[in-house]
Amino acid sequence: MADTLIRPPADAPPPVEERRRPPRVRKTPVTYLLRFIVTAYLFFLVAWPVSLVVTHTFDNGWESIRSLLEDPDMVVALQLSAYVAVWSVLINTVFGVGMSLLLVRYEFPGKRLLNSLLDLPLSVSPIVVGLALVLVYGGRNGWFGPTLAGWGFDVIFSTPGIIMATTFVALPLMIRELVPVLEEIGIEQEQAAQSLGASGFQRFVRITLPSIKWGITYGVVLTLARSLGEFGAVKVVSGNVLGQTRTATLAVEEKYLNFDQQGAYATAFLLAMVSVACIVVVGIIRPKNNH
Amino acid sequence: MSIEVTGLNKKFGDFVALDDVNVTIPTGQLTALLGPSGGGKSTLLRIIAGLEKADTGSVTIEGVEATHLPAQKRNVGFVFQHYAVFKHMTVAKNVAFGLEIRKRPKDEIEHRVQELLKLVHLSQFAHRLPSQLSGGQRQRMALARALAVEPSVLLLDEPFGALDAKVRKELRDWLRRLHDDVHVTTVFVTHDQEEALEVADEIVVINEGRVEQVGTPDQLYDEPANDFVMSFLGEVTHLGGVSLRPHDIELEASPQLAGSVEGTVSRMVRIGFEVRLTVLTVDGDEVSVVVTRAHARAHGIEEGSTVWLTPAAGATVVPRMAAAV
Repeated sequence: MADTLIRPPADAPPPVEERRRPPRVRKTPVTYLLRFIVTAYLFFLVAWPVSLVVTHTFDNGWESIRSLLEDPDMVVALQLSAYVAVWSVLINTVFGVGMSLLLVRYEFPGKRLLNSLLDLPLSVSPIVVGLALVLVYGGRNGWFGPTLAGWGFDVIFSTPGIIMATTFVALPLMIRELVPVLEEIGIEQEQAAQSLGASGFQRFVRITLPSIKWGITYGVVLTLARSLGEFGAVKVVSGNVLGQTRTATLAVEEKYLNFDQQGAYATAFLLAMVSVACIVVVGIIRPKNNH
Repeated sequence: MSIEVTGLNKKFGDFVALDDVNVTIPTGQLTALLGPSGGGKSTLLRIIAGLEKADTGSVTIEGVEATHLPAQKRNVGFVFQHYAVFKHMTVAKNVAFGLEIRKRPKDEIEHRVQELLKLVHLSQFAHRLPSQLSGGQRQRMALARALAVEPSVLLLDEPFGALDAKVRKELRDWLRRLHDDVHVTTVFVTHDQEEALEVADEIVVINEGRVEQVGTPDQLYDEPANDFVMSFLGEVTHLGGVSLRPHDIELEASPQLAGSVEGTVSRMVRIGFEVRLTVLTVDGDEVSVVVTRAHARAHGIEEGSTVWLTPAAGATVVPRMAAAV
């Protein structure tokens, strides 16, 4: 038998030279200066302000969090934020996977235009997004809104509008996460599956989805974080009705303006914790050898 | 006949990949599609597999008209140059894929997978991920995966192209032996004439989208249909009005054979047991000649010697074309 065929398992330790660590770059004053700049930058921009939110929240122990959760209007706001974020994640996941497949696998006229349009939500201020939605779906003067209102379906100043605005703002995150992954995996695995008898649906479920699952996971985390934190577009379309269309971020602003700083910090803390928790959870469950 | 291809045409934009290709591939044999890169051989293979659509023409596999069948209904095994392993599945799961799609009973799948892994010498790797295998091992796994569904034909697209020279040669021998055991009709694409000559029962030479010649390795080597086939299968030189192999030229230090051509040795390189000479003939040709070291020494040949060249008796000779390679 040819000799590769009986060779011992390929996990034999590689030659010693390959295992040796790369030579350390010598530390010069510049190294320390760069380290200092990076650390200071992150401290003043991120670590300090965020840690102040945490300390202010817990000035009186758990009191501020408890009073927050006992306020029925705040509970509604938090629930609304979660509800909107979940819908936005769902819509953006389905749409994002489909759109990414379209962009990577197919050639069609206008592809470049579509590609740049998809970045629009990131480059345009969320306020503009909100105003644009009002122009189209506004119940009284909107382009399409009165028709919808005639059918008994209110978009603006109601939950569908908040979901639309949030979905719009978070739209590119999933696609930008998935497109590079899809480009990297190519289509050969799917062609192999096809020649083995798999139908289009079977290929998608058994090959494509498992290959992009970490891309989707990251896309979901980013979309969720962005959706929970959305403020500008939601402020325009929601109407900010206490206990009905006021989301958690709007409540933070309201409390802050009403000198209820404790409540504002506590709400902000809760919002931040959800995002941090998502990222931590993904970091833990993600297998180490995956890139 | 296992695969019949008739009147196949395929264009990519302005580029003609296949130009009225007609090929019949016999059952149970190992057939090579041989030709230079970009000559259309991979396109032909992918059209047979259903991974590409021909513009016109038809494909019949084992008597079934397959031209408009989607790839998943053709029951062909396909092996890719870059393995196309399912990265998120273990070796055993990769091999089982086609059987699971066909909803075979679990114990049958398990049994068949074990059998195939044994056949490709990967039994001890069944629970590894493909990323833990070497290139050659991955390609053997891909082969087992393709064989699992008992395809009516097995198609391999430059299967050893991404492997290093040593592994390539071993896998080539191994493929030949495997085929002798399994006997599935196999078509493989290669641009390596040595690989084709060594492994294939039959070779289809394809160039610029056309079939240049079909035949056994011996037929192609001994009776090339034209200058292109001859030059693609090995080194070629030109003497008088003909093309022939450098080692098929008799070289003498004095005019002894009728029709010999006089010339001067302008360059002489010794490589092991053979000596390569460049001879400038009086007709103005520059002829490459290969002789053994002993022959050169016996005739006292060195740079500047005057020699006489004659095509050897029994040499493969084809008329020289205007635009010779």
